[in-house]
Amino acid sequence: MKVSKKAKAKTKAKIIEASVDLITKKGFKNASLREIAKEAGVSNPTIYNYFPNKERLLYGYIEYQHQNSAKILEGIDEFHTYTLREQLQTLVETELELYLEDREFVMQIAHMVFVSYSVKLDGIYATKEKFVQIVDEMLNASIEAGEIKEPPFREHLPLLFWDYYIAVVAYWVEDESESFENTTQFIDHSMGVIEALLHSDILTKASDLGMFLLKTHLLSALQKYTAPKRGLDSVKRKLEGLIDEQ
Amino acid sequence: MSSDTLPTSKLARSKVVGKAILQIGSRKSKEVLKRGFLSPAQKELSKEQNQKEIAQIIMDALGELKGVSIKIAQQVALGMPFLPPSYLEEMSKSFQSVPPINRALVRKIIKQELGEYPQEIFDTFDTKPFGAASLGQVHRATDTHRDMAIKIQYPGIATTIQSDLSMLKFALKRFAKGNNIDHIMEEISQRLYEEIDYEHEAENMDFFHKNFKHPHVTIPKLYVDISTQKLLATSYLEGVSLDRFLASDPSRESRNHYAQTIFDSFFISLYRLKQIHADPNPGNFLFMEDQKLGLIDFGCVKRVDEVFLQRYTRLHISLIERADDMDITRQYLELDMIDQASDKKMLAFYQNVIKPLDSIYIEIFLEESYSFAHNKNFSKRGFETIMQVQREQTHSVHKLNEEIIFLDRTLLGYYALFERMDATIDTKFAKGLMRQFT
Repeated sequence: MKVSKKAKAKTKAKIIEASVDLITKKGFKNASLREIAKEAGVSNPTIYNYFPNKERLLYGYIEYQHQNSAKILEGIDEFHTYTLREQLQTLVETELELYLEDREFVMQIAHMVFVSYSVKLDGIYATKEKFVQIVDEMLNASIEAGEIKEPPFREHLPLLFWDYYIAVVAYWVEDESESFENTTQFIDHSMGVIEALLHSDILTKASDLGMFLLKTHLLSALQKYTAPKRGLDSVKRKLEGLIDEQ
Repeated sequence: MSSDTLPTSKLARSKVVGKAILQIGSRKSKEVLKRGFLSPAQKELSKEQNQKEIAQIIMDALGELKGVSIKIAQQVALGMPFLPPSYLEEMSKSFQSVPPINRALVRKIIKQELGEYPQEIFDTFDTKPFGAASLGQVHRATDTHRDMAIKIQYPGIATTIQSDLSMLKFALKRFAKGNNIDHIMEEISQRLYEEIDYEHEAENMDFFHKNFKHPHVTIPKLYVDISTQKLLATSYLEGVSLDRFLASDPSRESRNHYAQTIFDSFFISLYRLKQIHADPNPGNFLFMEDQKLGLIDFGCVKRVDEVFLQRYTRLHISLIERADDMDITRQYLELDMIDQASDKKMLAFYQNVIKPLDSIYIEIFLEESYSFAHNKNFSKRGFETIMQVQREQTHSVHKLNEEIIFLDRTLLGYYALFERMDATIDTKFAKGLMRQFT
């Protein structure tokens, strides 16, 4: 039997929502996939088909919220007239807004990632694809519209922004201020810094400086010390390759 | 952008203020060193210069803090007349700016306060603000049957106020010369908290909307169903600011009409409602079509005690009727403006300290009308006199009846507006209200 993509997404969403409810109620450890399947109204084989283990459910949840955020952003009037900073900030705020409804659940994930290390950060990082893609599109549009100049290491910036976003979520999880106002302010001010960086030449200048130091000093230093150690040689080759590419 | 970001963490803020305090420290010692070699006249001049520099340093620090601090600076300027004039001058320069709330934040605040994003609540919502408000901004929005002004505030203002105030108190102690500034700080913080509590403002606005009657004054209607503590929804009024009004080169009649409306409104609310709209900021008036005046922003409303008002009014009538100084002195005694002492002592205190002040306030009421066009420097003289009195009699800071100061200060603020409008006002109606009241 063929199941359409849409129906698949619907089932997936149903399972995720059921797991949020159950895990919030019973805790991650005590909620079994079997129970989640029952709560979601799907069969056991089905749930294993979508999520081979409980950890996958967590990643599934994060990806699911990226999708939801993307949908919400698409629905904002005049979103294309927002500045890059406003777009990025809206993305982060929208994600948090969605998490707010499942705060207990998100706090459990955060605890497992940052405190008990029972979930690997790498696993969380594997969920970044959609988020990074959204940021990438925003950056592209901004460069194309001439709002900002093409920054150095352009292709790495969406990933850096993802790192920043993880930090924001970690901050939010610990935030005890009324209505999480501290997080709101933290985002607003840090976005101000990001905006200032993107609009200035600082990134370009810093990369120029880095390149200068690398070419004139680091490489010759490597040259000096590589003779006895073969390992460093490959590093040097790699760096030279990188510089030639530039 | 660097100009848009304001240091938030208490640590960052205390660093900024700390920097200013350090700088003041070094100014002070420099001043002491230098003054040893100066003639008395030069000394006075150098002191003035130094105060200016100190004021500048404090303002730089406050400027870096932005937002709340500017609001506090405003309140300080009003509440602490003993500060050096140069300090107030510097402060008045930075009265305008409030931190901007961008579209990402606007959406978030609406969602947080009303539970839904703007497009789900309103038919239209203008993401660009049309006006600045105390520590926030105002957006226009509509639904099926209403045209609305939606006022929102920057998140986390309340916590910011707290840390700013405690630091400011520390910094200001240097200027207080041993005076107790606690009660002034208390009043300032209370006023600030009232101003950011939109439920409080909503109540005031609703009260004025229902009870204040003047044929030329419009007060926005409160939409209580979409108002919260941090979001105020009212009817939208179409009009221009004082600056735009004056720039349109209005006729003398029109200028007089508006000044008269503002002036009469003050006395109507004082005597009929026992409450005044106590923020003479020109931004609180809207110059509308058909010679109508819009009264907006009810964040700063002061209730006036009935017994006090009786005494205050009787005193002013006596002043207008030029009663003798001893009679006036006794009335001030009753109002707690003068300490009980021998008649001779009290009279001297009145004549030296208070009289220069009240003769300025009363100048307006002596004739049937008063032309601010012919007395261009009225408010400047008023403020200078306050300064001078305070400088000679620093101990009187805590003796002056705060309610009187508050009323007179508000009036003085209005007079500064009338000066800018080159207006002539008629005092008959106001005096009539005074006489009816006693």
